[in-house]
Parts: sequence; C-alpha cells; structure tokens
Amino acid sequence: MKTFLFLTIVLISGALAGFVHGSSNLILVEPYLDEAIGIENQQLFASGEEDDTLEFWVEYEAYRTWQKGGQILAGVVLGTSTGALFGIVFVLSRHSLPGNNDVKKALILAGIMWVIIYFIPFLKYPANPPTVGEAETVVLRGILYLSFIAISGFAAVGFYKLSKIFKGKKKLVALIGYAVFISAVFVAMPENPDEITAPMDLVNGFRIMSLIAVSTYWIAIGLILGLLWYHFKPNKEVTSFN
Amino acid sequence: MSQSNQINVSKNTVPILAIVALAVVFAVGLFLVGFDQGHVFSIAFGEQAFEDSYIHELTHDMRHAAGFPCH
Repeated sequence: MKTFLFLTIVLISGALAGFVHGSSNLILVEPYLDEAIGIENQQLFASGEEDDTLEFWVEYEAYRTWQKGGQILAGVVLGTSTGALFGIVFVLSRHSLPGNNDVKKALILAGIMWVIIYFIPFLKYPANPPTVGEAETVVLRGILYLSFIAISGFAAVGFYKLSKIFKGKKKLVALIGYAVFISAVFVAMPENPDEITAPMDLVNGFRIMSLIAVSTYWIAIGLILGLLWYHFKPNKEVTSFN
Repeated sequence: MSQSNQINVSKNTVPILAIVALAVVFAVGLFLVGFDQGHVFSIAFGEQAFEDSYIHELTHDMRHAAGFPCH
C-alpha cells in the first residue's frame, strides 16, 4: 500500500465531495434556511429584542453572506472528515465489497454507509431548520443523534462480522438481525425533546432538500474516491527484480 | 547482460498509521462542524469563546443542512 497516495486520495475525495455538498446546500437548502431565519427575525421584532431598522437589515445581510460562505467551508471540512471514515471502511472492506471495479465498489459502500449512518438516523432524528430547537437541549440532542449513528454503525459492523460465519442464503440472518436490532433501538431511543412550532410546509420542505443534498455528498464521495482509486491504484506496489 | 523486470503487486496490508491519521481527521472534523459550541477557541480565548461561538456561527448553515442538532 502506498500510504501517502492512499491518504491523498481519501482526503481529496472527501474535500471535493464536501464542496459538492456545500454547493448543493446553497442551491437547495438555503432558501428554506432564509425563510426560517426570517421567522426568527419577526419573532425578535415582536418581542422587542431587535428593531426593524435599516441598520439591522444591513448587518443581517452581511452576517448571512458570511454564514453562506461558511456553508462551503464547513462542507469541505465535514466532507473531508466523513471522507476519512469512508476511506477507512473502504480500504478495510474493499475485497469483500461486490462489484468488478473500484468505482462500483466505492459507490456500493457509499450506498451502504448512506443508509446506516445517515438515512436510518435521519428517520429517527430528522434535520430541522432554525426556529426548531431549543438552545437548552442542544447538548442532549447532540448526544442522542451521535449515539444513534454510533449504535447503527457499530451494529452494522457487528452483524457483518456475524455474517462471515454463515454461508450462502444464511448470510441473510445477519441482515435480518441488524434490521431487528436497529428497529428495537429506533423505538427505545428517546424522541427529539423539542416541540415543532414552525410551519410544517417549511419543515418538511427543508428536510427533503437536506436529504437530497446529503445524498449528493454520498454519491460524490463514492464516485470520486472510486475513480481516483481506479486510476492511481494505491494498493499496488511496483516490485523490481532481475 | 542483466535484465530488470517489474511487476505490480497488490498488497492487502493497510498501514495502521494511515488509519489512525484518518480517524483523527474524522473525529476533529465532525466535532468542529457538528458539535463545537466554542470549545476549540476557548483554549485560547477562555469563556468569551462560548459567548461568541465563532465556529458554530460559521458552520451554522451546514450544521442545520447536514442534520446536526442546532439551536
């Protein structure tokens, strides 16, 4: 294994896919974020915490422009971070993944990880726009969300290891085992403690766009890492002999 | 006359150091974007960092869009 090449491929793939994610968010999710923050602003005016003045809106626009730039930067950071996890799992499982080339293998793994560490946790704790979520519960919600992701991820690894004991169709026992286990966890874990007071059209539209944008990340990471791996083959070393 | 040949060898050995480095990148990046409330800058700026919550504000939109809990 060419270690430096392996690390470079993984980090570049993650950063590029993160850029795709951040850009997708700017197009798909930002209109909903702006609408939700607009509701927050109206609440600030109604409560007297802020005045509806030109100065407020000039400052607000500058702040939001800065945050939208941060969206891209955060996309690259989060993409590189998640890409690092993807790279670890890919290199450790590559020989076990179905598919006759590295692009297919990477895309299949991206699909599996999308389901296990994103989609199933999303069903339990879906994304919410601003105006939904109390500052006092943010730590609790963070612990719940991260715990669910970790439980789902480690359970998937555990049941995958279990599947290696079985042969043929009996391997399905592990898949069913994971499904039963994660369903039980899904029911047992506490609900999001915050009440949704924002309009449900806004919340549902935001969630759908968030889901699509995150999905572009997983497609991008599978495609980019798979193509780079296929092209540069970091697992192959040239050995000279006379 | 000597002749040099080359072959491509596919090795399954995964460098542990690379795995550890990637695990650190994963943990740090996830914390920065998903969970920091001023913790990182508090190392340098103390309690004020929790008030300013600079990283939280900068990553605010991605935090919501990626499904992380936010205020």
